[in-house]
Amino acid sequence: MISALMISVGAVSGISAFLAILMVIADATIANYGEVKITINGDKEYDVKGGKPLLGTLMEQEIFIPSACGGRGSCGLCKVTVKEGAGQYLPTELPWISEEEQAENVRLSCQIKVKNDMSLEIPEELFNVKEFQAKIAKVRDLTHDIKEVTMELSDPPEISMVPGQFVQLRIPEYELTDEPVYRAYSVASNPSDTKHVELEIRLVPNGIATTYVHNYMKEGDDIIFNGPYGDFYLRETEREIIFIAGGSGMAPIKSILLSMAEKGINRRARYFFGARSKKDLFLVEEMQRLEKELPNFEFIPALSDPEEEDKWEGETGLITDVVARHMESGDNTEAYLCGSPGMIDACIKVLSDKGVPDELTYYDKFG
Amino acid sequence: MKQSPQLKQVQENMRPGVLTLHGFLGTDKRDLVEILEEDEAEVRRLGTSHRAIADKMVALRDRGKAGLGEFIDVEPNFEVKVDSVRGGIPSPFGGPGLIPKTNSTVRNTRLGREIVYTDINIHLIGEHGFYEGKGSLFRLEPHELVEILEINPEEQQTELPQ
Repeated sequence: MISALMISVGAVSGISAFLAILMVIADATIANYGEVKITINGDKEYDVKGGKPLLGTLMEQEIFIPSACGGRGSCGLCKVTVKEGAGQYLPTELPWISEEEQAENVRLSCQIKVKNDMSLEIPEELFNVKEFQAKIAKVRDLTHDIKEVTMELSDPPEISMVPGQFVQLRIPEYELTDEPVYRAYSVASNPSDTKHVELEIRLVPNGIATTYVHNYMKEGDDIIFNGPYGDFYLRETEREIIFIAGGSGMAPIKSILLSMAEKGINRRARYFFGARSKKDLFLVEEMQRLEKELPNFEFIPALSDPEEEDKWEGETGLITDVVARHMESGDNTEAYLCGSPGMIDACIKVLSDKGVPDELTYYDKFG
Repeated sequence: MKQSPQLKQVQENMRPGVLTLHGFLGTDKRDLVEILEEDEAEVRRLGTSHRAIADKMVALRDRGKAGLGEFIDVEPNFEVKVDSVRGGIPSPFGGPGLIPKTNSTVRNTRLGREIVYTDINIHLIGEHGFYEGKGSLFRLEPHELVEILEINPEEQQTELPQ
């Protein structure tokens, strides 16, 4: 009886597995979707070969949708609005798409395949996104676990962006990955230097991309990236500015400050930067130089756990405590935060308690 | 024990490229049921449980969050750093939605040893007794977790001193 049952279960499982494999093979070999038309924002038309995921198909047309996971459906960034032609939602999309987004036909472009004519809506600024070939001009240690990488552009030779935006670095095949992966990093350099892009990259334990940057990347290497992306940029107002960052969250804030210095934007600005001890602090001299160039700018580094040999006389404590001590009122103030979700959430609460409206708190969460 | 069709499907989800680039199995060629059974036996031999291990991982992570991305001292003899990268990962067992890509680094200053684990490790250990396959980048050895996190066999409570 039991053996008969096991044979039946085995037979059903075997047939199911066979059919599933057959469907995958058929989809890859027999299914020919031919040429299909993708219409974007109602006025741009592209004739493409059907059968591939939308994200990759758009990339072949040099339209780059932000994606931090390289199309594996694990970052949820590559959302586009598909007005027609996408079919039913897939189980792999649903964790990322809210009910409101479903009502607006927002889809995860890495998960849906182009099988017939489609009509999409994507932000116009994404048409400014390009793929760049570059050379690694310089790699230097900023701290024991953060490296600064300077890329010199080859083709196209120049990039147009605003300070605070990010790019996606293409990590080539190497020991830890047998296919290229893309990861998003904020730009640290001043966008007025259109021939170079500088990144600050902190080593993530077991991270495929950061391990490559820290242990394999060397000066003279060819590299590919695409961008720019993002809406983390300085708003043109007269409000006082609070910047808060930690670790590699320094990058977009530095880019904004360099641009402010060059343009002579002399709004009152305070930059709270959190680190554990002196060995985690970096670019202090550059920030002090910016203090001289921008008379209304103040750099306030804070150590949460300074070591005895640091002989630290500056601010101590968690960055949230330091911000709370320094800020009297959030009136006429806007804030720019970059760091881990935990740090940002904690800082938003402090800023809110001080009276900075949530809609004037801009942030770039790593998470 | 024979691998059930359900576990077979879970093992499919764990292969490279399905949910994550490298998957969850590393170079391990065994059936998932064998991996689970072997680690279950190891955890029993250590005198603890998957739940107790996961609870201690959660307790240290939650205390480490106060460091806002930097190492923070956690009594009695730990330093913990919790940071995140963009995105989330679904569990290969299905549910509970996307699990954030959060890394917790725990240093045991008394032993001079360190271990790194992710939120999905916590979920997989606590809910499914799965420590990942041998050779996986994110494989955690039960005995290392017990030693470094100082999980006491005779007491299952995981509350840390305030």
